[in-house]
Amino acid sequence: MINNVPVNIRTMVAVTIGGIAILNAAILWFMPRLTRPDLYFAVTVLPGFRDRPDGKVILGRYRMELILFSVLAFIVFVAGTVLIGIGFAPAGPMIQIVAGFIAFYRARNRVLPHAAQPTMIREAELRQDKRTIPGGWIAAAGPFVLVALCAGYLWIHGSTPVHELIVYVLGMTANLTGLTVLRYGLGHWVRPVYSGGPERTREHQFRRTVAAIVLGAEYYMVIQSSWLLLVPRHHGLISLGLLPLVLVLVLVVILVLARLGQGGSRLAAGEKSSTASAVAVGDRTPDRYWKLGVFYFNPDDSAIVVEKRFGLGYSLNFARPTTWGIVALLLIAPLVSILAHVTGFLVKRGA
Amino acid sequence: MLRIDLASRVPVYEQIANGLRAELVSGRFSPGEKLPTVRTLAINLGVHHNTVAEAYRQLANEGWLELKRHHGAIVRERDQPEAGPDTMERFTRPLRELVAKGLADGLSPSSLAREMIETARGLEERTAP
Repeated sequence: MINNVPVNIRTMVAVTIGGIAILNAAILWFMPRLTRPDLYFAVTVLPGFRDRPDGKVILGRYRMELILFSVLAFIVFVAGTVLIGIGFAPAGPMIQIVAGFIAFYRARNRVLPHAAQPTMIREAELRQDKRTIPGGWIAAAGPFVLVALCAGYLWIHGSTPVHELIVYVLGMTANLTGLTVLRYGLGHWVRPVYSGGPERTREHQFRRTVAAIVLGAEYYMVIQSSWLLLVPRHHGLISLGLLPLVLVLVLVVILVLARLGQGGSRLAAGEKSSTASAVAVGDRTPDRYWKLGVFYFNPDDSAIVVEKRFGLGYSLNFARPTTWGIVALLLIAPLVSILAHVTGFLVKRGA
Repeated sequence: MLRIDLASRVPVYEQIANGLRAELVSGRFSPGEKLPTVRTLAINLGVHHNTVAEAYRQLANEGWLELKRHHGAIVRERDQPEAGPDTMERFTRPLRELVAKGLADGLSPSSLAREMIETARGLEERTAP
């Protein structure tokens, strides 16, 4: 029973976590085939390498280890849930991700001896494309306006405690600012992998899609949190009920990105082109700057947002101070929320 | 298109300055036009922004660019400077070295001469009013 509404919480949690686990497994299984043809397990290789016998063997072993580690993770998860209780359940997907990462890391080490010599040639188009944020500034301002409206309404009606309101406004503003900066970065701080041709057009399409997804996430985040504050009666039930919805939305996003391929590489060649020829100039992120194949750390690179090596989307250059600013903004919301909860708990205990 | 080679012995900032100068001499950019910002060009080339800033400063000192804070680099109307007595010497010395390298690599004197004449004519035609 939650707020007098009968709900089988265990079933809901189990279905959600099971869904996340299946989603994780599918992503990890198919990901090596969704990256750019010249990247394999986050290592720069010759474009045809993944279809060569060596490449197929590495993929086979990776998938075998993925199954093995996932089974081990499942055993740990079941044992933990039986011994500790349902509270251990959220650790399941975490264990699975760690298991998947071990399989990935081992595969990466097998690919490294086949790494292609990185090109020392760098090219840049001097005439810049017009880069705008998808949706423009009006769409970007929307979530901030919604937060202000919601906070204003709650303030006037006085139905929400002030500290909760502060946590909501502070957390949401910081998060939205971080995501807006990230979207701006997608337009201005990402270097093109191709200097022109249909490939460049596809890259733009991919980048705009990712930016649109981030914008969608901003709106979803604001609407959900505002809804929970405005309709507090079934707070717990709504929160739980939204979990499968989030899972479905994440699945849709992954399917959209998978259809496009990393950097739009799986899209059919378009006709629109800024220049006649497409010159592949590489992502210019040398392998040695990818720590564990996942974290990019290159102080000599001015780029803040770079394409992921293993995965769909973008990563950050952790050697740039701006990156840490973005990370801090994205972490403020959960930190403020945790701090508020801890403070509230301590105050209640003291009273 | 600006092209640099990180493996070259020529410093990167100098390669960038040389490449940009070639574009400016060819008249591809007219006075008042904007070049990419330091940050944008550094991101696109995958180099540190100080490297690009150094190249821009060099071109600004030569009178090709006007650097404005927050506005990037703007191409300037540049008067043709008077060639001094050592100008030709400064030009011919590296040219001799380049020709020698071309000959050493197997190019024929006639093909080298043809290439140089065509390059000079091409630049002259593009910069002609």
